[in-house]
Amino acid sequence: MKYVTANCGAVAVGLAFGPIVPEFVSAKPGLIDYVEIPFEQLRHSPESGSIQETVPVILHCASMSVAGFVPPGDGILKAIEREAERTKTPWIGEHLAFITAEPIEDDRTQPTSLTYTVCPQMSEETVERVATNMASLQKHFNVPLILENSPQYFDVPGSSLSMVDFVSAVVERCQVGLLLDLTHFLISMLNTKKDPMSEIDRLPLEKVVEVHISGLNVQSGVAWDDHAEPAPPLVFDLFERVMARVRPKAVTLEYNWSPQFPESTLVKHLDRVREIVRN
Amino acid sequence: MIASRVHAIVAAGLENPELLARWKQEPESLRAYGLDPAMFDLDAIWKFAGLSAKVKHNGLRFDLPLTFRFLSLNGLEIEVFGSYASHKARAGIRYAPTAEGRIVELVDFLRDWLDFDKTEHSLLWDLIRHEAALAQLCKRTPSPRRVRVPHIAGDVILHQMTCDPRVLGKLLRQKSFDPSRVQRRVVHLCYWNPGDRGEICILELNELGYHLLSLVDGKRALADFNRLLGGKTRISKKLMDAFGELARVGVICVHPRKSAANK
Repeated sequence: MKYVTANCGAVAVGLAFGPIVPEFVSAKPGLIDYVEIPFEQLRHSPESGSIQETVPVILHCASMSVAGFVPPGDGILKAIEREAERTKTPWIGEHLAFITAEPIEDDRTQPTSLTYTVCPQMSEETVERVATNMASLQKHFNVPLILENSPQYFDVPGSSLSMVDFVSAVVERCQVGLLLDLTHFLISMLNTKKDPMSEIDRLPLEKVVEVHISGLNVQSGVAWDDHAEPAPPLVFDLFERVMARVRPKAVTLEYNWSPQFPESTLVKHLDRVREIVRN
Repeated sequence: MIASRVHAIVAAGLENPELLARWKQEPESLRAYGLDPAMFDLDAIWKFAGLSAKVKHNGLRFDLPLTFRFLSLNGLEIEVFGSYASHKARAGIRYAPTAEGRIVELVDFLRDWLDFDKTEHSLLWDLIRHEAALAQLCKRTPSPRRVRVPHIAGDVILHQMTCDPRVLGKLLRQKSFDPSRVQRRVVHLCYWNPGDRGEICILELNELGYHLLSLVDGKRALADFNRLLGGKTRISKKLMDAFGELARVGVICVHPRKSAANK
């Protein structure tokens, strides 16, 4: 098994696990430093963990509902704990979002469980809730949890903070590392009509541990996350802006939705990331 | 506005988009949950349900790559999958557990949902049936049959298209796609798995060949076909020629195949 090793000052470049990754890793050994794999993938298809025989793994997660009001079950937490220990991941990236919520009908005892994380209400109340949840969740793991900014597709009622202010408040309140998803960030800026280039400077970039890069598309009047599309130039502009100020530990390209994602684009974007990291 | 309550409403609407439709019709019903309906952009939440449904169907991209590309290039993904999520919620049915099942269900949904007066919708219908036929036939292993009446040699799926989806596929693979460049014409296609060649053939048929093939069931004799097509006692030359052509290509057998008989 391969494990991520501390490499002082070097920025590791990796790929999010997806249908093209196992073949790509075999065909081009050494081109990437790690694969980021979701806990949920390992849980439902344990065989996908064999990728770690070829390349180190960083664990990602979407099950802890960090910004929610329904805590994950002990079974889930134990399973994440096991995967964190087995993979020897240097950290666990989790969404600053919720994936479960209380039932709306009083006679329903089961919470509503979704399959996709949702941007929470961005308010002081949620910041406090995230702090409480993080304090409780972090105890389960020997490695740090870091939080990934959500894409904002609609105004969540009761929100009193902008995306940048919310993320900043959470990072400040929880003293937690940031998984800065640049595409989520750009989507949020486009959907809330804010200038991404000036807003990115307001984020606590010194807390960025890992960066995510993926594609987006605009449909039905909204910008959407799209891991089947290559990142647009503006995402790379934002990446350059971030790299001018900080050195994250890892940069992950998330091109993991389509088995037809062009290998030439993948290689080109890996080169582009490495070039920006070098400069 | 209490965050946990807001999350509960958003989650319930995403899980069951039918609720979103209900709340849209009766906004005041949201007040029963202690929430101001004016604060909820229900259309935006509905679109997000579409994204979520789309992501759930990423596994279909193996078999339907061009369909997904077409949906993306024409900005139809959110609309299609949002409507599909609503349809499923209305029917109270979960998505099928397998990719094969999900393709069948998606095609069934689109058959009713698409507006065939819209060019993009018609092209999408052609494309998804094309890719679904190829995917379905690849997974089937037809067994040889021994009957003395005309029967299919292998397995076929027949589709009448409004364009040639192979040409549409080529255009979609180009850097920029312009739907107006797709030549619209009626195309009768037969997707054929001969069973012993390890590949799927696509035959373009004339109208008579297409309809004859759709009637070949391994039970009707030539005389039955003749009667079905309004012939009298003598089998018409046109019918014989059409059958002869299909048999020459190999897609039907008029007599039991020797190879099958020897097995």
